[in-house]
Amino acid sequence: MFAKPAVYLTWWSIKMWSRDRAAMFWTFFLPLVIMVIFGLLNFGELGKVDLGIVDLADNEASSQFIDGLSEIDALRIETGSAEDERAALADGKRDLVILLPVDLADVHSENQIVALYHGSRQTEARLGLTVTQSAVDELNFAITGAERVITLTEESVEARDLGYIDFLMPGVIGMAIMQLGLFSVAFSFVTMKREGVLRRLLATPLDPASLLVAQVITRLIVVVIQTMILAAVAVFLFSAEFAGNFFAVLLAAAMGGAVFLAMGFAVSGWARTEQQAAPLANIVSLPMMFLSGVFFSRDVLPDILQRITDFLPLTYLVEAIRGMTVEGDTVLMQWPNFLGLAVWLVVAFVIANRTFRWE
Amino acid sequence: MSVTSAKFAKETGPVIVVEDLRKRYGDIQAVDGVSFEVERGEVFALLGPNGSGKTTTIEIIEGMRSADSGRATVAGIDVSKNPKAVKQLVGVQLQSSAFFEHLKLAELLKMLGSIYRVKVDPVPLLEAVDLAERKSASFRTLSGGQKQRFAIAASLVNNPDVVFLDEPTTGLDPQARRLIWDLAKTWKQEGRTVVLTTHYMEEAEELCDRVAVMDNGKIIVSASPVQLIDQLISRGFHREQEVRLATLEDVFLDLTGRSLREF
Repeated sequence: MFAKPAVYLTWWSIKMWSRDRAAMFWTFFLPLVIMVIFGLLNFGELGKVDLGIVDLADNEASSQFIDGLSEIDALRIETGSAEDERAALADGKRDLVILLPVDLADVHSENQIVALYHGSRQTEARLGLTVTQSAVDELNFAITGAERVITLTEESVEARDLGYIDFLMPGVIGMAIMQLGLFSVAFSFVTMKREGVLRRLLATPLDPASLLVAQVITRLIVVVIQTMILAAVAVFLFSAEFAGNFFAVLLAAAMGGAVFLAMGFAVSGWARTEQQAAPLANIVSLPMMFLSGVFFSRDVLPDILQRITDFLPLTYLVEAIRGMTVEGDTVLMQWPNFLGLAVWLVVAFVIANRTFRWE
Repeated sequence: MSVTSAKFAKETGPVIVVEDLRKRYGDIQAVDGVSFEVERGEVFALLGPNGSGKTTTIEIIEGMRSADSGRATVAGIDVSKNPKAVKQLVGVQLQSSAFFEHLKLAELLKMLGSIYRVKVDPVPLLEAVDLAERKSASFRTLSGGQKQRFAIAASLVNNPDVVFLDEPTTGLDPQARRLIWDLAKTWKQEGRTVVLTTHYMEEAEELCDRVAVMDNGKIIVSASPVQLIDQLISRGFHREQEVRLATLEDVFLDLTGRSLREF
């Protein structure tokens, strides 16, 4: 006649959550503000112009030319094969690629330098082209005195429009999930434990698992809504890339949510008061916020730190989501990150199971 | 919730049987071989100073704690073997209760009802403890006395056969205390069994069919209040004060009235 108490409890628990203004703020408002601020600042455009050089000539003139460009601060130069550099351009890793012809600086030939640029990165490409053009002029002057033996021709290339927001969106989604999982459970359960709410429930025939299930389901629902809101704002307001399957991203979000909820239960089991829960939750979350590639790429970290941060749960979560939204990966293609999350889920669950107390 | 006495009065014999219950916390033997029975429809009190083991004893019977040894049954169900079935039958008011934040009083009662798988009409429950007007308030905003009364309403959501009240009137004003006494008397008329602890002897005398006095984890004596008083007098005890026609509490109630405050 009556549904399982767990179903009812989930309903009540959602009702309670929806009335919790502080939780609303931390869950929906704050991550959104962070994304909008960082999205508007657009840190990706503050960087250098990524210039790829394909040196087909490989002679003295070409190496002089490259040396000349290397001295320019605004450029970050990579050299490689034509194929690699074109691919890098298409992936958004280069703003501009120039092809130095085999017969560079040969006064008797056509001497055309071809510049390929990223159509969506006009600003960077323009800057790169100007700089390259002046380097070409210098080279011309060195060879002939004044006459133009080398010309620069431009060519816009169809490439994916990847910006900082595309990097940021999966990062902020991951961060928001971590904060929700860790803090909401840690705080509400410590409060319920301290005030005696859990003890009062212990006097009823409630199956403890039902209460946990209700709390977890409520928060997983919130995780899904949170992910949808953040993704919607990033996509519609900042034209962020969302290449992958939406449900695959939600699956990754729910998986990450489960990991951090289990961690939140572990924290709430250990802590007796909110004053103990707060620092512990911060110790867990703060390093990850900065080391798991939320706001900036882990490429800038020292090598050893990169190897270590490879294993952080937030790294797995953010990289799984990023792989899906940016590269359009499927869940199957992201299996290593899902495996990492699964391992963390088991670890966190075991700890939570050991530390959790009702009173 | 309308309750007829028929539901509870059918069966006879003890509804609670406790045999040689023991519970130790570290160096302290909190409960040290406690045995007693509570008859169906009886109001029974455990009396004793703080730390005498009253609360531990009733929490074992409620299925909230496990005993080290001994046995407790409620309506024939062994608590240690089937705590859930016992919890389904009994109503519990803890010494200090707390409830979910962000739910209104009426919602809290419905929520508790859903745990017992019963549909609850919160209004009569709240009316019984004079909190109907605060049905949309949250538990945290209640005064101490209101919290205590709400906890008692909450103990009745599952229409229990046995109600446990752990110091139900501690800290209450005389008006609220009398409201709770009246409630306990109503439950008795309905055929429910009431087990309570209290530090107020006049409360035990007023309400209880039988009391058991505990000290250091043991029951020292168990009988009806009248019997215990007679035993004391027969040992030659004389109260120094002569019988008064009124007490200070009578004066207080005469001055301030019998109706509840805090509205």
